[in-house]
Amino acid sequence: MTNKKSYGVSLRNVVKAYDDNIVLKGIDLEIAPGSLTTLLGPSGCGKTTILRLIAGLELPTSGQLFLGDEDVSTLSASRRDVAMVFQSYALFPHMTVGENVGYGLKVQKVPASERKDRIAAALDSVGMGGFQERYIDQISGGQQQRVAVARALILEPHVMLFDEPLSNLDTKLRRQMREDIRRLQQETGITSVYVTHDQNEALSVSDAVLVMKAGEISQLGTPEELYLQPKSEFVATFMGDANIVDADLSFKNKKAFASINGYKLELISDTRGQDAGPVRLAIRPEALTMVKGESKTGICGVVTSRAYIGSGTEYVTRWKDADIFTVMPTTGDQFKLGDMVHMEISSIGVSVIMG
Amino acid sequence: MSDTIRVESFSWSNPILRWCLLGFAAFFLLPWNALEYGVFDATYSEFYNAYAWSSIKSSAFSLVCLILIAVRPWRSMAKADLIDAIICTIAFIGILVIATLNGEALGYGAAIQMVAFGGILALALARLGFIQGDPFMTGAILLVGGLVGVFIYFPVLTIFSKVVVDDKGAFTPFMFFNLITSFGMGRVVWNSLTMAIFVGASTTFLGLVFALYAARISTRAQGVIRIFSMLPIITPPFVIGLALILIFGRSGTINDFLLYLFGDGGLFIGSGNEGWFERSAYIYGFWGIFLAQTLSFTPISFMLLMGMVSTISPSMEEASLTMRADDWQTFKNVTFPLLRPGIANAYLLAMISSLADFGNPMVLGGDYDVMATEIYFSIVGAQLDYARAATLGITLLGFSLIGFAIQRYWIGNKSYVTVTGKGTAGGFQPLPRWLQRGCTVIAISWMSFTAILYVSILVGGFVVNWGADYTPTLAHYEELWARGFGYGAWPSYITTLEFSAVGAPLTAMFGILIAYVTTRRRFAGRNLVDFGAMICFAIPGTVIGISYILAFNTAPLLLTGSAAVVIISFIVRNMPVGIRAGVSGLAQIDPALEEASLTQRASSLRTIFTIVLPLLKPALISAVVFSFVKSMTTVSAIIFLVTPDTQVATTYILSRVEDGDFGQAICYGSVLIVTMMIFILVVDKLVGKSRTQRTIKAS
Ligand SMILES: Nc1ncnc2c1ncn2[C@@H]1O[C@H](COP(=O)(O)OP(=O)(O)OP(=O)(O)O)[C@@H](O)[C@H]1O
Ligand SMILES: [Mg+2]
Repeated sequence: MTNKKSYGVSLRNVVKAYDDNIVLKGIDLEIAPGSLTTLLGPSGCGKTTILRLIAGLELPTSGQLFLGDEDVSTLSASRRDVAMVFQSYALFPHMTVGENVGYGLKVQKVPASERKDRIAAALDSVGMGGFQERYIDQISGGQQQRVAVARALILEPHVMLFDEPLSNLDTKLRRQMREDIRRLQQETGITSVYVTHDQNEALSVSDAVLVMKAGEISQLGTPEELYLQPKSEFVATFMGDANIVDADLSFKNKKAFASINGYKLELISDTRGQDAGPVRLAIRPEALTMVKGESKTGICGVVTSRAYIGSGTEYVTRWKDADIFTVMPTTGDQFKLGDMVHMEISSIGVSVIMG
Repeated sequence: MSDTIRVESFSWSNPILRWCLLGFAAFFLLPWNALEYGVFDATYSEFYNAYAWSSIKSSAFSLVCLILIAVRPWRSMAKADLIDAIICTIAFIGILVIATLNGEALGYGAAIQMVAFGGILALALARLGFIQGDPFMTGAILLVGGLVGVFIYFPVLTIFSKVVVDDKGAFTPFMFFNLITSFGMGRVVWNSLTMAIFVGASTTFLGLVFALYAARISTRAQGVIRIFSMLPIITPPFVIGLALILIFGRSGTINDFLLYLFGDGGLFIGSGNEGWFERSAYIYGFWGIFLAQTLSFTPISFMLLMGMVSTISPSMEEASLTMRADDWQTFKNVTFPLLRPGIANAYLLAMISSLADFGNPMVLGGDYDVMATEIYFSIVGAQLDYARAATLGITLLGFSLIGFAIQRYWIGNKSYVTVTGKGTAGGFQPLPRWLQRGCTVIAISWMSFTAILYVSILVGGFVVNWGADYTPTLAHYEELWARGFGYGAWPSYITTLEFSAVGAPLTAMFGILIAYVTTRRRFAGRNLVDFGAMICFAIPGTVIGISYILAFNTAPLLLTGSAAVVIISFIVRNMPVGIRAGVSGLAQIDPALEEASLTQRASSLRTIFTIVLPLLKPALISAVVFSFVKSMTTVSAIIFLVTPDTQVATTYILSRVEDGDFGQAICYGSVLIVTMMIFILVVDKLVGKSRTQRTIKAS
């Protein structure tokens, strides 16, 4: 099942309002053909709304939406070449697995014999071959999820949409399913948009991640960009844990340096457009290494909390008015509550918050 | 919206042209105007005159619009869709205005052409981005909106106009107040309200007693539920009133018995002596209506409260008991307060039912006039006082709309019971002992009383003259059923079955469609449709009757006298059954299922037929069954609309009652009860058990 041709999706200044409630405030978004883009953001920020707009289940209040070069802003869902996997799977309870998967083909009047082959192929591709005759309530949740994916894939759509497809599954199954989805997506090259609440999922499967907040785009980028160079405090704290600290920015020989309470650190992250002077940094917990003892410069304070999490130990250190969060491997030094510690800071995982 | 210029090819597969074709066909083939005696009885010249092309009428205007749309000179303009929509709207308004001014009664031709305009309008609106660009759904919404407008808002507004416009057509804004304060009106309104307050109290009390009995005391709950859910549905109007007359009437069983004991020469009096007791008509008037309505509506209160009682989680009461409250304190402080919204709900609905009730006051009213019957008496006979009837109709509608509004917006949101936490394993803790005893005694006596009544209905038809002559006889049955199909009860019986059979599927279809568009779609004017649906729930039958006869006896919508208008009022009357079935059925279908179908490129039409309807099948069947059965017992809504040709069972029974022929009336009533029971049981057998159970609860 390779795709005829991948389409990109573009939203141009798309606004969506329900009555007076403006849910999307002018979204401009280009989704590259053949990519998997993840939408991430707090509940109610408009992720599902974007998917529904792309699917045609809602029409934009204003603005335009293109699939490939075609303006589909007022085209209804049943005429768009877009398939969707719903959070609740939305499998038809009065049909068998085979009928569910073959529904779209039947709608398109594909002859029964061809339909049968394609159903079998689609089910095989998600590892559900041989389940054709079962009814939906006779298969497990994970299997239902696979059937839902097969149903979306079978029409070889230009765009596939996934709305939190794995949120009803347990952690282990989730990891396996997301790998399967990613594999299928890469095999078929279908442009995909994927909504999730789980950052691990977002970081691991995506070509691009879009972080949203209250109907607006906060940042779009590759997973690495988003994690290592968050442009705002919101993105920094939403994508994993981050310590936000004040620092002074200076430039020397085209290199950028930050001074945190006198602790000098070279910055390798993007600092274009920044002026020297006071800035705020986002420091990932992994960039900090705790060292016993006091220090006049940098981050230094008393351990106020510690939690063993198996692969490591999480510590909170009180420094000035801030709580500094770190994770140390179980194999290294261990600290007790009340220990005085200071931090060594690595350049990777430190970025300047813009604006 | 895209501003690209659309160039359309001129082809017959173009949906706009197909609708135009339908419009032209209607224009040339069907009579444009209504035929006074129906299509089959019209003379040649009447038929000819009714055609659109036989003379210049509103049809000419409509034809011009249709030709314009078919040619579409503006089809390459940017706003072509908008122009289509505007022309269609103008066509609608134009046809109605011209026909009204000319006094033309519109017929099939006009109706079909309006449908064609509706289709084109839907296409145009969909392309303008209406309802996610979905022409079928847009069309469905236009259809629902149009029908609600014509068959609900228009008649209701017509009665309003009757009380502000006098006979000469002058605007008299204060006429309503003059009428409502005129002699006798106040008493009628007061009587109705008093009755409603008392009946509300009695039925709610009994309903609660039964609910506690069935849910918490007896182990035979299923039986009680089954009987009580069936009774109100299968009991024809008048029947309970007649049964009460048999027992408590002037020559009823009780009078006879007392006379036998204490009357002239009675058992305790000695022969030849003057007795203490004379025949009395105490049952006619307040107490008769009160008793009959209590009997009629208790099952409804019971079903409502049963729903509430059985969803209270046992853990609430257990929590109270673990805090050292005894069983009575628990009942008083936990159980009862949890039930309060349900009780308020049941009370209001019983009040509304009492206000709207026509059958019982008709039979038992005596001098105690209430609004529902007074509307009837303002019109029948030589009275024809439409202004008075309209005034009463509006007042009655006002009360019941207020009741429904309170029920829906205030109490509706206050139900605690649905938010109970997780269910627990064990059963309920027992209620206080004396409460159990009290409920049991009351429930059993009331059930016995009800049983006696229904038995006397069945037996009453087999004696010569209840009260005077108890000789068994089949005379009443012979009179009704053995004189051939053209005599006695047969014509009305057959008409009833026909009308119900035509009306029931339509009721179910439109009810579910209304439920669908109001719960699943957002569109401008949805609130109007929603409110129209609420009017359907609230409007008393007699008010439907009076508003229909006022609205549909003049051009452009001349329907009175036809079978269609009787069927339409059946449909409107029973619409709540359809809507409820639809709403509760749809609530169980995840909207994502439809969306999944849409994203699989199925049209919304196909989605409805392959996804929604198959999943709604139980709701659909129950809506058909119950609207069929309810049609058979509808009287107040159609009483002004039937003609000798369209006489139905209930109106025939009414005519027997008015002639004082109780034997035949009861006889016919029993036959109806049996007919309906057979129908329900057969359907039950066919579609499997528990179906009816579930849906009765919903209705
Ligand atoms: N049909 C609707 N009518 C009115 N408001 C709506 C409707 N659908 C969504 N909203 C509002 O739009 C906003 C965005 O909703 P959306 O479903 O897109 O959020 P989301 O990002 O998917 O959230 P979640 O992560 O919880 O699924 C919310 O505030 C929601 O209340
Ligand atoms: Mg969502």
